[in-house]
Amino acid sequence: MIDFEKVSIGFDKTLFHIDFLKLNPSQLYVLVGRNGSGKSTLLSTITGEIKPIKGKITLANKEISTQTLKEKSKNIALVLPKMESIPYLTVREYISLGRYPYTNTLGKLTKTDDEIIEACIDMIGIESIAEKFTTSISDGERQLVAITRALAQDTPIILLDEPTAFLDYGNRIKILKVLQDLVRNQEKCILLSSHDIDLCLDFNLPILLIDQQNQKLIECEPRTPKAKILEIGFEIF
Amino acid sequence: MLKNRSILYLALITLLVVVAILHLFSGQISIAFSDYLNALWNYDPNDTEQIIVRELRFPRMVAATIAGSGLAISGMLMQTLFNNPLAGPYVLGINSGSSLFVALSMFTGFSFFQTNLGIAGAALTGAFISGIIILFFSFKLRSTVSLLLIGLMLGGFTSSIVGILEMHSGAQDLKSFTLWSMGSLQHVTNSQLPFILSFFLLSTSLLIFIIKPLNAMVLGEKAAENLGVNIKRFRLICIGITAMYAGLITAFCGPIAFVGLAIPNLTRIVFKTQNHSHLILANFIIGSTFLLIIDSGIQLMEPIIALPLNAVTSLIGAPFIIYIVIKKLK
Repeated sequence: MIDFEKVSIGFDKTLFHIDFLKLNPSQLYVLVGRNGSGKSTLLSTITGEIKPIKGKITLANKEISTQTLKEKSKNIALVLPKMESIPYLTVREYISLGRYPYTNTLGKLTKTDDEIIEACIDMIGIESIAEKFTTSISDGERQLVAITRALAQDTPIILLDEPTAFLDYGNRIKILKVLQDLVRNQEKCILLSSHDIDLCLDFNLPILLIDQQNQKLIECEPRTPKAKILEIGFEIF
Repeated sequence: MLKNRSILYLALITLLVVVAILHLFSGQISIAFSDYLNALWNYDPNDTEQIIVRELRFPRMVAATIAGSGLAISGMLMQTLFNNPLAGPYVLGINSGSSLFVALSMFTGFSFFQTNLGIAGAALTGAFISGIIILFFSFKLRSTVSLLLIGLMLGGFTSSIVGILEMHSGAQDLKSFTLWSMGSLQHVTNSQLPFILSFFLLSTSLLIFIIKPLNAMVLGEKAAENLGVNIKRFRLICIGITAMYAGLITAFCGPIAFVGLAIPNLTRIVFKTQNHSHLILANFIIGSTFLLIIDSGIQLMEPIIALPLNAVTSLIGAPFIIYIVIKKLK
């Protein structure tokens, strides 16, 4: 799904290297690392916003640099750390913007688009807030709405940049459960960055750990001990 | 919601038509209704009343409609582009560019520039040059806030040059420029209307290509880009259309402040939507209605006090913007 081949990640200077890495469908990965270690840079490199310093990244069997904006928008959906509330925009309208890559010049939704949007709203279970304005829902609901929009974008890959950063414990669990369901039922490849190591370990998720000292990305197995993660990623112990 | 919106459209379109008709009748000389009909369908070039209707009142009404709607739509474009309710062609320095070129043309002493066509050409050139400068920076900078700051600085820079030019100009030139800078809809003539209307329609037709990205841009640039919006191309078209509107309006009506800032905010409050196919139409209706009302008022007040258009729009627009800022800060 996403293949990395001798890639150096960074903006002006290399932050870390990825020798070979393959992110597969039906899998939820968590990207962990210190502040400034390059989590967001890696996500921006996958979306094509930032070019890798060297190496090749392939998305759905095609190198990122050769993909058009439209192709990328049909391959990757991005969820930002905080969905801003937008005055006078309803939840349904917000989610329907996920259909952008598929609509005509005027952005008119077809019957199929409407059905997909409805199915996504059902799947995430936010029917009760669908007609509300995005300004009148809670932070937790907002993040669910952002995930629903990403789902409506109908891409094989979903990237989430610290989606639980502003949420309470209950909402963090809810978001991870929703993402796990999407991986199981929709065969999505999901990569999320997070500082929430405990929660990720509770959910037995495979962790991609940025080792700043050795400038490399390490793929940890789901049951890797917390102490080892803290030692490599955060130089604690 | 759909039914409510239809009723709102119907009410506002009716109001626009009524206001436009009242505007035609709000001049100082009382003219019979039959003269209006004759001026349109059975024109007699020797009839004074018909000349007034055809050469003064009708062009002034069209100018108010075009200026109000054009400024409102260009303000809406800037507010969506910069994701900031306080953006507008003024903030970007586009109007200031027009003013600078008009000042240059008036103070150079070349007789061509003293003509209406000369002033119009200068204002359009100024708007486009400011637009191109902003565009140049928009390709270099990713942050819209930085771009907004550059727009403000550009406005300040051009205003300073205008100030220096004013200091060194003759009394007559200074008077002409001051009158132009007060803004007025009464200088638009019937012979200018075909050019003004075609230029306005050209700018408006280009909006079709950006309705979809405008809707995505409310999510912010990063999210819009992920949905497939070509940000650089979008900025180019958006600023280009704004320069076309602002240049055209500043050329023929002088600088008109606050319409581009206040009306798009008012429209969002009234229509409660972020769908730009609605917002464009709604800004057209509300912007033109607003300026028609203001200009009717100016005409009715004329026997008591002469009011400059730019000052009246500022007097009404500024408190409204303060209200928006306070509401946003809350």
